[in-house]
Amino acid sequence: MGNHASVVHSLRELNYRVRVSNDQAVLNEADVLVLPGVGAFPSGMKALHSLSLVSYLQEQARLQRPIIGFCLGMQLLADASYEHQYTTGLGLIPGEVVPLINPQWHIGWNSIECVLQDPLFQASDGQVFYFNHSFAYRGPSEYQIGLSRHHKAFPSVVRRGSVVGLQFHPEKSQRPGKELLKSLISGLCHA
Amino acid sequence: MLKKRLIGTVIVKNGWAVQSFGYRRYLPLGKPECLVQNLDRWGADEIFVLSIDRSSGRLGPDFKLLGRLGQLGLGTPLIYGGGIRSVEDGLQVIRLGADRLCVDALLHDDVEIVRGLSRQLGAQAVIASLPLSYRDQRIEWLDYRTKVSTQVSAKDLDAVTLGIVSELLVIDWQHEGQPGGFDRRLSAHASLPAEIPLIAFGGLSEPGQLIELLSQPRMAAVAVGNFLSYREHAIQKIKTQLIGMPMRLPSYESMYSLTTDV
Repeated sequence: MGNHASVVHSLRELNYRVRVSNDQAVLNEADVLVLPGVGAFPSGMKALHSLSLVSYLQEQARLQRPIIGFCLGMQLLADASYEHQYTTGLGLIPGEVVPLINPQWHIGWNSIECVLQDPLFQASDGQVFYFNHSFAYRGPSEYQIGLSRHHKAFPSVVRRGSVVGLQFHPEKSQRPGKELLKSLISGLCHA
Repeated sequence: MLKKRLIGTVIVKNGWAVQSFGYRRYLPLGKPECLVQNLDRWGADEIFVLSIDRSSGRLGPDFKLLGRLGQLGLGTPLIYGGGIRSVEDGLQVIRLGADRLCVDALLHDDVEIVRGLSRQLGAQAVIASLPLSYRDQRIEWLDYRTKVSTQVSAKDLDAVTLGIVSELLVIDWQHEGQPGGFDRRLSAHASLPAEIPLIAFGGLSEPGQLIELLSQPRMAAVAVGNFLSYREHAIQKIKTQLIGMPMRLPSYESMYSLTTDV
C-alpha cells in the first residue's frame, strides 16, 4: 500500500526520472530506491515478502545502494515492529518500531531538529513537515539524525550509511519537503 | 511542536464543487480540481474533499475524481470522504492518492468495516464525521441520508470511535455556510470521547471564532469550506489573522519556478 502517485509527482517536479516497479531488473537500473508507504507494518512486510523484495533490499543495502523510506517505508527499515503483532522488518537500521503512547497518534505538521551533524539534512533543520503515524522508531542514538517532539521526542530522521528513513511525508510537505528531497537524493547520489 | 491545522474543504455534489448551506441548499462553484489546486497553491495544511451524494446514491467513492486529483501532483495531504462502503473501497481511495479517509454513513451502517479500515491503514488514517446539533443540553447525531437526528450519549459515540479513528470531525450541520455560525457547545460537549482530537467544521468564517476554537486544547484543526471560495489567497489571509496561534505561517508559492537553472 503506497502513495506512489504523490511520490512520483514530487520527484518528477524535481526533474528526476522515476519508475514505479517491483521488478528487480528495473530496480537495478535506479540510482536511488524509494520505499513509500501508508498502512500497517505487517501488511507492508507481507507485500515485500510476496514480491521477493526483502532479500533484494537487504542485498542492495549491503552494496551501499541509496535507499530512502518514507513513513511506513522508514519503519520497514527497522529490525521489527509491534504493530498488531511482532513482525520482523528489513533489518537495515538497527532498532524497532513501537506504539506512540498518550497521545496515540501524531498527525499534522511538526518540525525536525537535527541532533547529529549531517550535511544532507542541515538545511531542513527546524523546517516543518507533514506526519501521519501512530508508531515510531526506537533504536541506537547513533542512527538518529533528527528528532521531533510531540509530548515526548521521537526519531523522525534515521540514517545508516546510504539507508535513510523519514517518519514524515516529504512528498506531502510542500516546499520544505521538496527541498529536503532534492538535497537528500543529490547528496546520496554524489556521496 | 505539533501545529494546529487549517483544512481547506471542497464539497462535491454530482461531480461539481458546491457551496453548501445547512445540508439542504447548494450553489455551484466549478470543477473540484480547480479548487483543490488553489488550496494546494495557497498552502492549506490539509485538503478535505467530501463527495456528499455518493453514500446516499449508493455510488461508492468517486474514483474518477480521485484519479483526476491524483494527476494534480498535490504537495498537500488529501483527506477524502464519500461513498466508502468497504475496506477495499478505502484501500483504493488511498491507492489513488488520498492520505486519509473520512467516514460518516459507515459509522451508522457497519462499524466493523471502519474497524477493518483502521486495522489495514492504521487509525491515524481514519476520521469520523459527526454531523451534530444541540438541543436541550444534549447533542443529536444526524444521519444525513434520512435527515433524521438522534440523541447520542458518550457511550454511543465511544462504541463507534474509540480505538478506531484518530480524529472526530464535528460538523455543525445546521449552521453550515452561515458566517460565524458554528455552535461552540458542540465541540465542548461532554458526550464526545475525550481521548480523540477534534476538527471543527460548519459555519467557520470569523478569525475570532477560529482563534477561540483553536485555543481549545483538544481542537487539532478547523476546516473551512465556503468562506475560502470568495477570494484569492484565502488560506494565507486567514492564517495572517491567526498569527500567534500554534500554526504554520502562511506561505506564498508560485506554481512556476522564478529562477532558471542554467
